[in-house]
Amino acid sequence: MSDNQQFDQNGASDSNGVILETKDVSKSFGGLVAVDNVSVKINEGEITGLIGPNGAGKSTLFNLLSGFLKVNQGQVLLNGQDVTDMRSDERARNGLIRTFQITRELSGMTVIENMMLGAKNNPGEDVLATLVKRDEVSQFEQEKRERAQELLKYLELWDLRDEYAGNLSGGQRKLLELGRSLMADPEVLLLDEPMAGVNPDLTDHILDRIMTLREEKGMSFLIVEHDIQAIMNISDTVIGMHQGKILVSDEPEVVQEDEELLKAYLGGGQV
Amino acid sequence: MGAVGTLLNPSLLATTAIFIIIWGMLAIGLNMHWGETGLLNFAHAAFFAVGAYTSAILTTPPPEGGAILEATRTIGFDFPIVVGMVGAIVVTAVIGVAIGATSIRLEDDYLAIVTLAGAEIIRLIIINQGSLTAGTKPIKNIPRPLEGTFQEVLGLGLPYRVYYVGIAGIVLLGTLLIFRHLSNSPFGRVLNAIREDEEVPKALGRDTARYKLKSFGLGAGVAGLAGALFAHSQNAIIASQFTASLTFIIWAAVIIGGSGNYVGAVVGAGFILGLQALLRVVPSGIPVIGGNIAVLRPIIVGILLIVILYARPQGLLGNKQQTLAGMKEGS
Amino acid sequence: MALSLSTFLTFLWNGLVEGSLIALAGLGLTLLFGLLNFINIAYGEYMAWGAYFTLLSKVIGLPFVAAILVGVIGGGVVAIAADRIVFQNFSNRSPVVLLVVSIGVSFILRNLIRLLVPSQYTTALYGVELLHVPNIAGITILGNQVVVLMLSVLTLSGVFLLLNRTRIGIAMRAASDDTDLARIRGIDTDRLVIYVTALGGTVAGIAGIMLGLESQVTPSLGFTFLIPVFAAVILGGIGDPVGAVVAGLAIGIAQKVSLVIIPSEYTPAIALLVLIIGLLTRPDGVFGEATR
Repeated sequence: MSDNQQFDQNGASDSNGVILETKDVSKSFGGLVAVDNVSVKINEGEITGLIGPNGAGKSTLFNLLSGFLKVNQGQVLLNGQDVTDMRSDERARNGLIRTFQITRELSGMTVIENMMLGAKNNPGEDVLATLVKRDEVSQFEQEKRERAQELLKYLELWDLRDEYAGNLSGGQRKLLELGRSLMADPEVLLLDEPMAGVNPDLTDHILDRIMTLREEKGMSFLIVEHDIQAIMNISDTVIGMHQGKILVSDEPEVVQEDEELLKAYLGGGQV
Repeated sequence: MGAVGTLLNPSLLATTAIFIIIWGMLAIGLNMHWGETGLLNFAHAAFFAVGAYTSAILTTPPPEGGAILEATRTIGFDFPIVVGMVGAIVVTAVIGVAIGATSIRLEDDYLAIVTLAGAEIIRLIIINQGSLTAGTKPIKNIPRPLEGTFQEVLGLGLPYRVYYVGIAGIVLLGTLLIFRHLSNSPFGRVLNAIREDEEVPKALGRDTARYKLKSFGLGAGVAGLAGALFAHSQNAIIASQFTASLTFIIWAAVIIGGSGNYVGAVVGAGFILGLQALLRVVPSGIPVIGGNIAVLRPIIVGILLIVILYARPQGLLGNKQQTLAGMKEGS
Repeated sequence: MALSLSTFLTFLWNGLVEGSLIALAGLGLTLLFGLLNFINIAYGEYMAWGAYFTLLSKVIGLPFVAAILVGVIGGGVVAIAADRIVFQNFSNRSPVVLLVVSIGVSFILRNLIRLLVPSQYTTALYGVELLHVPNIAGITILGNQVVVLMLSVLTLSGVFLLLNRTRIGIAMRAASDDTDLARIRGIDTDRLVIYVTALGGTVAGIAGIMLGLESQVTPSLGFTFLIPVFAAVILGGIGDPVGAVVAGLAIGIAQKVSLVIIPSEYTPAIALLVLIIGLLTRPDGVFGEATR
């Protein structure tokens, strides 16, 4: 855990090594309580897995962490800073990037354009700059295009770079979303079922990349997945949810033995 | 044949060309809103009017006593035409952004209603603030750029109107070039992303509301410029020239021409105007059609709009692959 | 300007009458909007056609009540025709496409009136010559207004009875609230579309007829009335029938009462102002019951 001090992270010292956390967060829809008094900590430079049966509230928690839903009560902290009232785009600018369970690729735009959108702080996004500072803009675009190429080749999507994202298969869209979010150089990346529909040969490849990013860049991950084995293999911490509550949050070996979680899965957790 | 001869009259050709250019500019502005960014703007005709009136007021001093028809207007200036045009762009852009700002963080449909509302309010102000706009009466004696100079320098004996085509044409070309550049730039990419799925650029850190407002301002500004071009091509403007139907006709032009494509937008405008010109040539002796041209045009445009949306949703010049791909939902 | 109580009360009365009209038109539109999920600009033309069917029936000599019936049914027929011939073909397209399609339909319907109806009738006023109603509390009451208000109340009650007490009505509301859920529960949503369209068109027709009674019958009757109607629908919460009615009444009254402080030329702006303020403060509709 003390390894992460060597990485250049903003505000690392303020947050005691916790990059993202919630404090007593709850969310209800009408009469239904989706997330019930949840306090979780995602440690910096770690891979945290989030598991639980369907309807446990995982995606809702994701939405609350990323600002796509507002909490009914409680706090969300990013890098020690209270971001509970911060909009989703502001949180993203502060390093919190997320993918979506049902992919949101920009169908009418090409794969490469999707990737380029991921790159932050593009000078060409300013109207005046794009008209008068053309050299600076081309240079930035060129750099980012090279980065996108590297990522796309890794994700085996390079041949499809000029294809409209709407024409991709389900698995390919998942990979595109992953690539796009990596272009944004996140500090903490929330992945919502990143492997669903992806070719099994590629999944190991992807998981390797995630671990490499964790080691080389100190990136933190929160991953929701239904492939329990994969999660247990790569995670440093695993959180188990059921019916809106946290059942356990510990190292994989401990979580695997957790009886409550086992019961939740066997009991079918469908709401 | 008489009809053809009528068509080839240089003054008439020039007038048609000027209108194609002006409507083309309007279509470019609306394409920035709808084609690029997916914004529902139903105030476009009002922006057009604001631009026309702003430029007219800035360049035409109020009439001295005698002119009965325009007697109510008291506010007017005598600035050069360039000032009028720049003023038109700025004022219209500001008003556009003001209207857009009220609902830019709400769902898309709301912007539609708010722009309809804004357009109506603008219309009411124009009609009722006679001291500024001459109300329902015309503003006359609007100056024309370089009038007289052309005849002297080029000496071709053509009516002024023909030279104006050149001026307006240059403005159109410049606008097209700028907007095409914006479209292919990273800025355009963000706008397109907003159009496809606003949550995505937000999840990637873009403040989408600000981009939408910029798009709105740009498109409104172009409409304002079109208004100014219109005002200076006429000797006078009057409120009844700016109808709400114009907004919907420009919508039809953008869609028929191919949304997302600036050249397509201009072509769409030309198409509808061409239709109008064609209908005018139809001799009035033909039963039913003859006497009802004014009414037939919107009907034909309406039918065309529906048919194109059904059978060729990408429009005349749109990209079929892109349009079809864009209609697909996530996995 | 010194304002007498009777003048103020007259404004209030006028507002109530016009408000009931906006409420009625808004009710039809909110049902359509709630189920079909797109802004239908052609709704105004359903109103206009209802008015013109009645006008022409009167012209050819039908008695008043029969003429109204023709207009009412006519509104529904036009709505269904528009749906079957045009809108149905776009049922899998996005709401925005449908909106633009409705613009096309609106162009066609409005100008068909101009094309088909002989010109001397296109701005004719058809009035109901009734007994002169005595002034109550100094309020100026016109016979037409009484008829309009009575018909509005009658129709509103009828529609609410339909929506709350009949199987079809309840199904309509359920489907308007959540179409997917309704389909899962076995409600035939495709047939419902026809019923809701018929209902919406009929209500629009009635509103159009009454607009003609209250003011003038012109081809753009519906189009110009659309703004306060849309304002009522949005303010009341899309898909919320009660909301639309309450908002409609509020807008009608606000419009007429505003004459106390602003000149009549700016009255159309009131609906818009109410709408914008409403949107900024309660984006889910007055009762927070918007279904989208």
